[in-house]
Amino acid sequence: MPTTITEPAADVVILGVGYMSGVIAAELSIPKFNGNKPYKVVAITKGPYWDYVNDFSTTKYDEWGVGLGRKYDSPLPLQSATIRNTPYQFALPVRRYTMPIQYHALGHGVGGAAQHYGGTMGRQGPWGYTQKSSTINRYGQSFLDTVNPHSDLEDWPLTYADYEPYYVDWEKAHGLCGDYNGSATNQPSDTGYPWMSVNYPLPPSPLTPLGQSFQTAAQALGYHPFPHVSALASQPYVNQYGVPVNPCVYDGYCGGPCDYACETGAKANAAYRTIPAAMKSGNFTLVVNSFIFRLDTDPTTGLVTAARYYDPQGNVHIQPGTVFFNGMWGYNMIRIMLLSGIGAPYVWNSDPTLVSGSVGRGLTNGYLPYRGTNVSGTLPNNGGNAYPAGNGSGGSVDIYDLMDDNFDHGPGLSGLNGSPPFIGGAEIGAGGYPGGGPGNITFAGGVSSASMGGTFKATQKDKYLPTKTTLSSTPSAHDLPTTDNYVDLDPHYTDIYGDPLARLTYDWTPNTYNGATFLVKKVKDIFTQMGAQNVTIGSTVAPGAVHNDWWGHHLRGGCRIGADQSTSVWNKWNQCWSPVSKPVFNIFGAGEITNTSGDNVPSGTHVAGPQSYRAAEGIKQYLLQMTHGLLT
Amino acid sequence: MPVLRIADKPKPIPLPYIESRIPKPEELVILSKPLLDATILIGKALTNCMNKWAFGGDVAEVILGVNVQPNHIAILTSREGCDEIARNLATYQIEPAGTVEREIERDAKVDLKSHKVRIKSYTARFDVQGSRLDVHGDLQIKVGDWDWGDPLDFEPDYVYVVGVKVPIVPLKMKSELYTGLGWMDRVSKIHEAVVRSRHMFG
Repeated sequence: MPTTITEPAADVVILGVGYMSGVIAAELSIPKFNGNKPYKVVAITKGPYWDYVNDFSTTKYDEWGVGLGRKYDSPLPLQSATIRNTPYQFALPVRRYTMPIQYHALGHGVGGAAQHYGGTMGRQGPWGYTQKSSTINRYGQSFLDTVNPHSDLEDWPLTYADYEPYYVDWEKAHGLCGDYNGSATNQPSDTGYPWMSVNYPLPPSPLTPLGQSFQTAAQALGYHPFPHVSALASQPYVNQYGVPVNPCVYDGYCGGPCDYACETGAKANAAYRTIPAAMKSGNFTLVVNSFIFRLDTDPTTGLVTAARYYDPQGNVHIQPGTVFFNGMWGYNMIRIMLLSGIGAPYVWNSDPTLVSGSVGRGLTNGYLPYRGTNVSGTLPNNGGNAYPAGNGSGGSVDIYDLMDDNFDHGPGLSGLNGSPPFIGGAEIGAGGYPGGGPGNITFAGGVSSASMGGTFKATQKDKYLPTKTTLSSTPSAHDLPTTDNYVDLDPHYTDIYGDPLARLTYDWTPNTYNGATFLVKKVKDIFTQMGAQNVTIGSTVAPGAVHNDWWGHHLRGGCRIGADQSTSVWNKWNQCWSPVSKPVFNIFGAGEITNTSGDNVPSGTHVAGPQSYRAAEGIKQYLLQMTHGLLT
Repeated sequence: MPVLRIADKPKPIPLPYIESRIPKPEELVILSKPLLDATILIGKALTNCMNKWAFGGDVAEVILGVNVQPNHIAILTSREGCDEIARNLATYQIEPAGTVEREIERDAKVDLKSHKVRIKSYTARFDVQGSRLDVHGDLQIKVGDWDWGDPLDFEPDYVYVVGVKVPIVPLKMKSELYTGLGWMDRVSKIHEAVVRSRHMFG
């Protein structure tokens, strides 16, 4: 018979064992990194421990099982989410895997979603941290109101300069590959291109011919191209925790549909960079296949006292702790807070001035519109297609010139070229190793002439033989927080244990579409400069013409850090400060979902990473002080 | 307060779960912090070294993913390289360079017979922030009554240690050396590391 088991208390209890949690585990359990304190750390995850050789080396090539069966991913019958576009709709649950990329299904087990991502990285620049104030200062409040109706945009609690040392730690820990960020000077005053106090610890992957072509064209047009930043080790590496890392073997199965786990551990994630060091310390306990369903709070102090989880046999375990770190993926981070009554739940109102609460507030999507404005062309005999053995994200070239506030967005000014107003922009790049597997099964989106038969074969030939390379881009400006996009608990649908699912109320914001109208023209110029033929802008999609109907998300926001206690869940130390009847100061959190605002650097993970180091520092201070208050 | 209060009644989970084997700490390959810090310091100090050199010994193997437990750092180089390294690391030197010949602890096992193993090198010793560093110039090995081998020579592999590019004695050479000495347990450990670093089907 299942029973209830109380575990020995720990100093730090980590919820979920993904990218951010790995940093907390290493920084708190290894005495050399925590001030020689004998802290006991426990981490709990609903999935298994993954070993890249034993679990992936001979099984990852199962395209059907990985791409469609999602055999490595979170089982939907266990837990899903519901989604709708507006608060006036009835949200429906995700019941089946319908697309190649299912972010809500990733993040199962040690390493989390990063077991399956493409490995793309990139720092968020200084403007990303001050989007609201910078926009208002340069263009005025009315401009922001026009760009983003019902705006809920906030500045981050810290600046890029504050986060820069944490970026360095993050990049060292995970062995990121790159070569600065396109800045001509790499000075702190060069705000357009994130300056770096230290270059990336590994050199970039060799550029593909297509990447070289993009680089030459971008330079000719006055842009500042630089190698794409990747988390797939280009060379053998050892990180600051002493963990050796194998380099990428370009096996051809990698990031295409973001499905394929890495068989050599070259693709960075917590399982292969930070967790091994924590485990070696002797102070770290890893609990797998265990589903966290509640956090207990003390009614007197308001502090979190324990995490409750089911083990595979259905037993309930109570894990007491002094400090808790919420490292769950995406909306799961929000859901456990709402289920446990921690923080002030966001309450929507059609009048933006009447909304309240912060847990679930400010949801954005870091991904481009699924069927947005696009531009395409054909590059003859480039040879880029002779490099199918990809590593997901390496080998390409990017520019930051068309993102952030690196050009004039003001109405009527030359930069906008007659496009509707927007802020931000996009990182534009080309040339990555495809790395999607030979078949690159896409039947999940429905069988079509493109996914089988003669057209499919012709596509495969173009992919592997030096015939022609199709160039395509669907750029967009970044999604902005509004009071109408949020996460709460679904009143109708539950997980397998009977608890409400997370409900996502979300649709694209006008900023994404309007930016696309401007950006496709710029991308068209680059493609043309590269020598592409038949470069055409396929369609220009207006705001509201296409709604979000895609279950795959690069979710950001929803559980934000911030400088305003009424609109954010976490303070500048990633410590909970959301006002409720009792303060809950002993829980910290970090992840893409804690990003205050989105940006179009492709990886919200890279932007979240410094927060994990900031949170680790905060937890260390909290444990030293033990005053159960807000860190200053 | 919790939005919902459900009874903490245990519930059986009807879903199959993925069997998971969590490795034991001794199975995990980690370079200890003192040796790691010393390796970085040495790597930076020798960046512009003109003579060929590389990290050898167990530290080099750990860096390449081999599960061994190093207690000091070793560098292989030439006699000239040893002198150059001594100049670059002068503040850490604890013994002047000189030719050292000694018998090592482990015997070779050749044709089912044990043979004493001797090494000879132009050696300098250092203490790098508490970590021992032995630099061997023109290291030679002698097994039993056979003649001395030629000074070890190699083309190093390169590894980035927290961003510092350092030369490493290739595992292939170490594997061949261990095979010749009959140290098959060490060969096996290298094999395990190589398997973990390679594409399975090619």
